Amino acid sequence: MSRSVTLSAPLPHVDLGDRAREAIVDRERSLERFLAGIERRALRIAQMLLRDHAEAEDAVQDAMIRLVRRYGGHPEQQWQPLFYRILRNRIFDAQRKRRVLGVLQAWRNDAAADGTAPDPVESAVDPAGTPEQALEGGQLLARIEQVLAGLSSRQREAFLLRNFEGMDVAGTAIAMGCSEGSVKTHYHRAVQALQKALGEWNS
Amino acid sequence: MNEERMRDLERKSRAAFDESVGSMDAATRSRLARARAAALGELRGRRRIWRSPWLPAGVAAAVALASALLLVGDDAAQPESRLALVALEDLDIVAGGEDLAMFAEDEEFYAWAAGEIDDGVG
Repeated sequence: MSRSVTLSAPLPHVDLGDRAREAIVDRERSLERFLAGIERRALRIAQMLLRDHAEAEDAVQDAMIRLVRRYGGHPEQQWQPLFYRILRNRIFDAQRKRRVLGVLQAWRNDAAADGTAPDPVESAVDPAGTPEQALEGGQLLARIEQVLAGLSSRQREAFLLRNFEGMDVAGTAIAMGCSEGSVKTHYHRAVQALQKALGEWNS
Repeated sequence: MNEERMRDLERKSRAAFDESVGSMDAATRSRLARARAAALGELRGRRRIWRSPWLPAGVAAAVALASALLLVGDDAAQPESRLALVALEDLDIVAGGEDLAMFAEDEEFYAWAAGEIDDGVG
């Protein structure tokens, strides 16, 4: 019988340890390529959302570690939205921490009773004044940052992820934790607001 | 809104963003590279598990545990993927030295690693 012949044939040697090691090394290389390709853009986006260079670097580093630790085994095409989902959460944490520290500082200064503690995001230094933005592109980007700062966080994220990071609607929805319809709406409103504010650059 | 002007705004703003990314200073790029290396260090730490001399015993223990669970457990209430995770977690305990608290964060990784082994056998 063919079945008994098959069973009696010598089994090929399979080293499970080697195979798993190779798979992990391959995955490590893929993750390195992914992170190297995304890190600078992610940092700029984090800077725009946090408006603090050091905090943005911390957020990106945390997002890298968490992606590798928690989602390194996921399919590669999921990494980008997952990475930005993690980064977004990390940025929200940093913003919450800032608000708490701001309130504590206000209490310390006997100024918290009427809730007038300044919003650290609103009171951040205007990026338009930095030397690196002397060129037209830099000035445009600085103006965009100003306009984005006045939008809702959802609109801001939708614009940064869709337009600057080039993510599709589905990936942006995963990153933002909302529906694809919401992404489209927030993005459209963000572009409308920018169009209105940046008319001189866009005529 | 004029579709053409909207596309123009998207294109110009993206170009300005790309320019700012491209002109990132060397010190920042270096810090990013170090952050990336630190993140990948997480994976390298796990790779050491597969080099452990305890691996064969761990695999045997994991298979025995998984088999026992399959035979006596409530199969309907326990998804297969969960069983694979239990087995791999046991393997890791035997291979030794890892902080037990990390398992909660590593489920996806071990499920993936288990899949790689299955692919090799199947």
